[in-house]
Amino acid sequence: MLKRFLILFAFFFVTGLGVYWWLTIPATVAASTLPAHTADVANGKLVFNAGGCASCHATPKQDDKLALGGGLALTSPFGTFYAPNISPDPNAGIGRWSEADFVTALQKGTSPKGEHYFPAFPYTSYQRMTSADARDMFAYIKTLTPVAAPSRAHDVGFPFDLRRNVGVWKFLFLDGKPFAPDSGQSPQWNRGAYLVNALGHCAECHSPRNPIGGIEDKQRFAGGPNPEGQGWVPNITQKGLKDWSEKDIAYFLQTGQTPEGDTAGGTMAAVIRNTSQLSEADRAAMAVYLKSLPAVDGPPKPMRKG
Amino acid sequence: MKYALLVAGVLALGIGAVSAQQDIVKDRQAQMKATGRALGGTLSAMAKGDKPYDQAAVDAAFVTLTETATKLPALFPESTKGLKEGTEYATSPKAWEDKAGFAAHIADFSKAVSETKAKVKDLDSLKANVGAIGKQCGSCHETYRLKS
Repeated sequence: MLKRFLILFAFFFVTGLGVYWWLTIPATVAASTLPAHTADVANGKLVFNAGGCASCHATPKQDDKLALGGGLALTSPFGTFYAPNISPDPNAGIGRWSEADFVTALQKGTSPKGEHYFPAFPYTSYQRMTSADARDMFAYIKTLTPVAAPSRAHDVGFPFDLRRNVGVWKFLFLDGKPFAPDSGQSPQWNRGAYLVNALGHCAECHSPRNPIGGIEDKQRFAGGPNPEGQGWVPNITQKGLKDWSEKDIAYFLQTGQTPEGDTAGGTMAAVIRNTSQLSEADRAAMAVYLKSLPAVDGPPKPMRKG
Repeated sequence: MKYALLVAGVLALGIGAVSAQQDIVKDRQAQMKATGRALGGTLSAMAKGDKPYDQAAVDAAFVTLTETATKLPALFPESTKGLKEGTEYATSPKAWEDKAGFAAHIADFSKAVSETKAKVKDLDSLKANVGAIGKQCGSCHETYRLKS
């Protein structure tokens, strides 16, 4: 009887392990699937700015936002993540990466070593980026100055430190779908949707997350507690921005100024540094898209103590 | 009796001092709101085309902004550190930890206001130059302002 039970247990254990293993295999993009492409460095720069790469990857406490040595600390309920070096340095950065490595990192969240990246790197948004945009951006980053500072290891507790477990998270929250234009909407709206969702990754901060760090889809863009701790991230659906015109949103993305005369502070100030470098047309497209988001209630904001 | 009076007096002084500090907090919030109205409600609104260009209103806005630039250095005394602030924002402890950096930001703001004021003559020059002020607001708020 006991023997039979043990055999059964071993069977389920091994099967379970097999499923876990299979489920958590890091996905990659094969170089052979990438069509011929001539990189457009100017577009790469645009994608880089719209994607806000420098806000996390630029070396903190110095003025050159294009020195991508990494090191900025991102605190989260799961531990502290340190943005890695993505400068073109061959040892510390991404100088030895292939194009396919770079596309894989953005679209699949998998490193050239075949490990899962933690979703502090917003590949749930970047997976919607076109391969052409990713490749142009790769060519642009290659033109920047290499930084030799090695990346700092993340400070994350068990069981989140086991990268293989990120595979389970990806199974739940990474759908692998590229950006799909809505043919019922204008080209401008679609451009805005692409900039906001695939590149700008606005929803990564402006949405509430569930206890294991996945975005609550129904409340996407509805704001919530700051994932980095203090304060509250505003609702940017029409619930929060109903008094803002498209012009107000575009002006805010350009200058950081709200219609009330308030100014973006905290991490949004860094976002404005990126969006201020986009074209008027792209900011207007983002505004058109954001203005079209139906009003959704976010999680209730707690009353302030004291 | 004398002692009781003395104690009461000291207490009253103490309370008075605290409420004076609290008044400074109120003052700076009022000044910040006024600054927002001058910049967002007047200058930026005209630059955006939401309001017609009006020289008198522009002049008034610059009076407010200049007043802010003059007052700011005195609006964040160390004695207000840790006091209760508004429901939206609070001053980051960094304003007192890095006094030199904070003062440099105020100086930059002051410079941006006076330079912009000198340049703005009409709608086009307003559009071209008003961004310099908001940029200084943002760069200081990035580090020295917290959300409550």
